[in-house]
Amino acid sequence: MSLIPVKHSDNLPEAYLVTRWQQFCAGDKSAFGEITELNYAPLYHYGTRFTPDRDMIKDCLQDLFLSIWEKRESLAEIAAIKPYLFQSLRNNLVRRCRRQSVFSEIGGNEPFDDISPESDWIINETDHLTSTRLRQAIDSLPKRQREALYLKYYENLSYEEIAVIMGLQRQAVANYLQYGIQKLREYWHHAAVFLAILSDINWY
Amino acid sequence: MNSYKDFEVKDWVEDLQFRRWVYQGESDLFFRSYIQNNPSQLSAIEQAREILLSIRGEQDVISETEVKSRVSEILDAIPAANQQPFLWWKGNWLKIAAILILAFGIGLSLYRRPGALNELAFTFAEVQQPKKARSMQVTNHTGNIRLVTLPDGSSVILKPNARITYPEQFDKSKREVSMAGEAFFEVVKNPAQPFIVFAGSMVTRVKGTSFSIRANDGDDEVELVVKSGLVEVSALESEDEVAGQPASRKLILKPNEQVTFNQKNKIMTAKLVEKPVLLDLTVEKQDFEFKRTPLTEVFTMLEKTYGIMIRFDADAISECTITAKLGDEPVSEKMDMICSVVNAKYELSNGVITVTSNGCD
Repeated sequence: MSLIPVKHSDNLPEAYLVTRWQQFCAGDKSAFGEITELNYAPLYHYGTRFTPDRDMIKDCLQDLFLSIWEKRESLAEIAAIKPYLFQSLRNNLVRRCRRQSVFSEIGGNEPFDDISPESDWIINETDHLTSTRLRQAIDSLPKRQREALYLKYYENLSYEEIAVIMGLQRQAVANYLQYGIQKLREYWHHAAVFLAILSDINWY
Repeated sequence: MNSYKDFEVKDWVEDLQFRRWVYQGESDLFFRSYIQNNPSQLSAIEQAREILLSIRGEQDVISETEVKSRVSEILDAIPAANQQPFLWWKGNWLKIAAILILAFGIGLSLYRRPGALNELAFTFAEVQQPKKARSMQVTNHTGNIRLVTLPDGSSVILKPNARITYPEQFDKSKREVSMAGEAFFEVVKNPAQPFIVFAGSMVTRVKGTSFSIRANDGDDEVELVVKSGLVEVSALESEDEVAGQPASRKLILKPNEQVTFNQKNKIMTAKLVEKPVLLDLTVEKQDFEFKRTPLTEVFTMLEKTYGIMIRFDADAISECTITAKLGDEPVSEKMDMICSVVNAKYELSNGVITVTSNGCD
């Protein structure tokens, strides 16, 4: 009998997820359903980083899951499940965004060297993000830095996993994250300086 | 040392526990009381929180129901060719036949031995409850209390002779356990996966709370008292009752409410008690509030409360103190919080917790 303390936010223990993945690779439909259900919302939210088109994200997710079901037998080797799914969705979305930009005028004026146009950061009025200066701060960051920050701090992925997902060197990820956090903190400091110029001397 | 006391904005941003509080609202009680007790850190904490929220950005709400329906769409879209051919030896009819034969056998034996009806009800109750997955049973044969950590991290303190049965892995939609004797539960909060306790013919449903149950074999009554959270109590439904009675009665209990469940007539009597103490366990009275309490004292208290052993280097942590209010979290979560405050690590193996720390300044 094993008594491993499991934190409730790690939805399920890693060993369990690996077992279910193996079962899915062996053709177990219920394991497949469970994997889909566990990963759907995180992938969907990640997808909204790239495009405001919700239907396209849902389409991509359906394609993604159906395609991994089709090639399930070849996926038994995959150890890092979450990064694999994130990477696959990212590739799909980037490909679709590119294709769309060729045919539609909307995306046409944006050079598509990278992924998403600025407008992709949809601002939902119901959100409680009160601080407009932080919105400015995050908007001022390059897209890829924002994405790396999201994967690191919101999705708790490691440098290596982020590197795989984004197709970067580990060092590049480390740099993105370092500059990103620094930038966000500076925004805060500037704001603080305006409020209390006298007391705030030694942050330089 | 990197204890929470010396945390700067960057340290907060890097702290997983802290991020879980910001993003998922976990350990809310802990962080709120921490901020209250350490007002000088408020500005750093607020800054870190806003940075994290800006990193997440605006997010759509995608409900569980929507996810479920998308998943079933995906499952439906799987081409039928992938389905397995019908295998006669795997079909259900074999199981059905086995059950019929079994039922016939039981019926025959009952016919010949009418007094066995009660035993049958008991057997059924046992068979019905822990299904699927391999089931684990722990009985406390010692003379002291014994801690059992369930697969989801929930804690159960068994009094002598109490026993608990649970699956090696919980079902995705619910966590079912059955118990007999006297036990105290601290259940990990997870509204999506209700926690259900079968004790005698009483069924208890919770989402994440702490409570005590007394359900000794052979007693007519099962008792339960709530320490924190909400608890729903109902009678175990047997086949004949579903047909006979329209709706089964349920009782929702709040902290300090105690219910006595009569197994014979299924009548529940609730009353308010001054203290939620049913089994005379330390944990029932413990409020886990610490004010500059030396860490060694905290560990000794946890050892006593949960009947566990905590190994630590007393010299290394002699300077560490804790100011915090812990709630009804299971042991593992309490240890997580304590260790993150004093920058220590712990491991749990064979019921012994080993803490390693570089000490506090």
